[in-house]
Amino acid sequence: MTDPYEALGVDRSASLEDIRKAYRRLAKKLHPDLNPGNKEAEAQFKEVAGAYDILSDKDKRQRFDNGEIDASGAERPRQRFYRDFAPESEGPYTSSSGFADFAESDDILSEFIRQQAHARANARGPDISYRLPVDFLDAVNGGTMRLDLPQGGTLDVKIPPGIVEGQVLRLRGKGAPGRGSGGAGDALVEVSIRPHRFFTREGNDIHLELPVSLAEAVAGGKVNVPTPSGTVAMTVPKHANTGTVLRLRGKGVAKPGGGAGDELVKLKVMLPDPPDPALDAFVSAWETGKTYDPRRDMLP
Amino acid sequence: MKITRQEFLIRARLDGDTLEAWIAEEWIVPTGADPEVSFTDADVARAELIRDLRGDLDVNDAGVGVILDLVDQMHGLRKMLGDLLQSMHRPEGGTRR
Repeated sequence: MTDPYEALGVDRSASLEDIRKAYRRLAKKLHPDLNPGNKEAEAQFKEVAGAYDILSDKDKRQRFDNGEIDASGAERPRQRFYRDFAPESEGPYTSSSGFADFAESDDILSEFIRQQAHARANARGPDISYRLPVDFLDAVNGGTMRLDLPQGGTLDVKIPPGIVEGQVLRLRGKGAPGRGSGGAGDALVEVSIRPHRFFTREGNDIHLELPVSLAEAVAGGKVNVPTPSGTVAMTVPKHANTGTVLRLRGKGVAKPGGGAGDELVKLKVMLPDPPDPALDAFVSAWETGKTYDPRRDMLP
Repeated sequence: MKITRQEFLIRARLDGDTLEAWIAEEWIVPTGADPEVSFTDADVARAELIRDLRGDLDVNDAGVGVILDLVDQMHGLRKMLGDLLQSMHRPEGGTRR
């Protein structure tokens, strides 16, 4: 056990005021609760506190000076320090106001910090995930969808044009409410796109299979073609065939950086329905119709 | 572990009026509402800290409030930093070194 005068760094004639000053100077540096990261502080602080306990008491100091008690006689039984509990107590004390501002920006570290802050007092509310089915054309053109919330109420979600399957929209402050002064969390809306009756999408291009009549295919001509942004007139070239692909530039999905993909129209020749006897008569008299073999490449 | 009010006063060496004053200042925040309040070991240790501050360290009441607030913020930061370091050491963690 260290001599209490040495522990406090005062000489034997020090006044009570000097002893107090010395103790306060050391306690500031060594009190475990004021230095939670300093592992050595606890043992040193106990020594200093024990020394102060003896030397600050006129009677005890006298008895120590006379050799009646030794330095250990004064050691106060000390329970665990607050710092030993603070890390495990998610209770009412631990505060995030020393770092909550870090959570405001958008980088990955801030996201982490936001998650950490959940359990705290005045914590930001948790994020809530939703799934939102979006019609094909709304996904291409953009729009506003109303989301019914399971806890009641609705949420208007702005769909940006050209959104893709599985994309997650973050609606700041639309998640669960926070505690105390902590703001609400975010709503995370995952988009699933409903298929369309005749459009399909590959990247920024729209694909469409367009039925044309035999007359249109053989003679060519103008036909009306649906696109996501409305109907346009397209010229079918003479002698078009099933499988011919025509490109409508800029009629696809808007690209984020400007511009748009194309619509690719694949022709499909349709014979008249119901059948026409005139066509039957023509075909049976038609020589080339009997010699042309469209499967000639398939046979061994 | 739950500690009753009576037990808390003995273990923290406090009188009832002082405890009420500390609760009013929110230096100590017990669990539950009157008359079912209970305390934790952390509350006892916190009371010891307050006694150290007001007693040997001669901090006045306004100062105690400021110090406790900063101590709570520091523990919040320490917890966050600890969690962050832990997540960086996890190989599959989202944050990479």
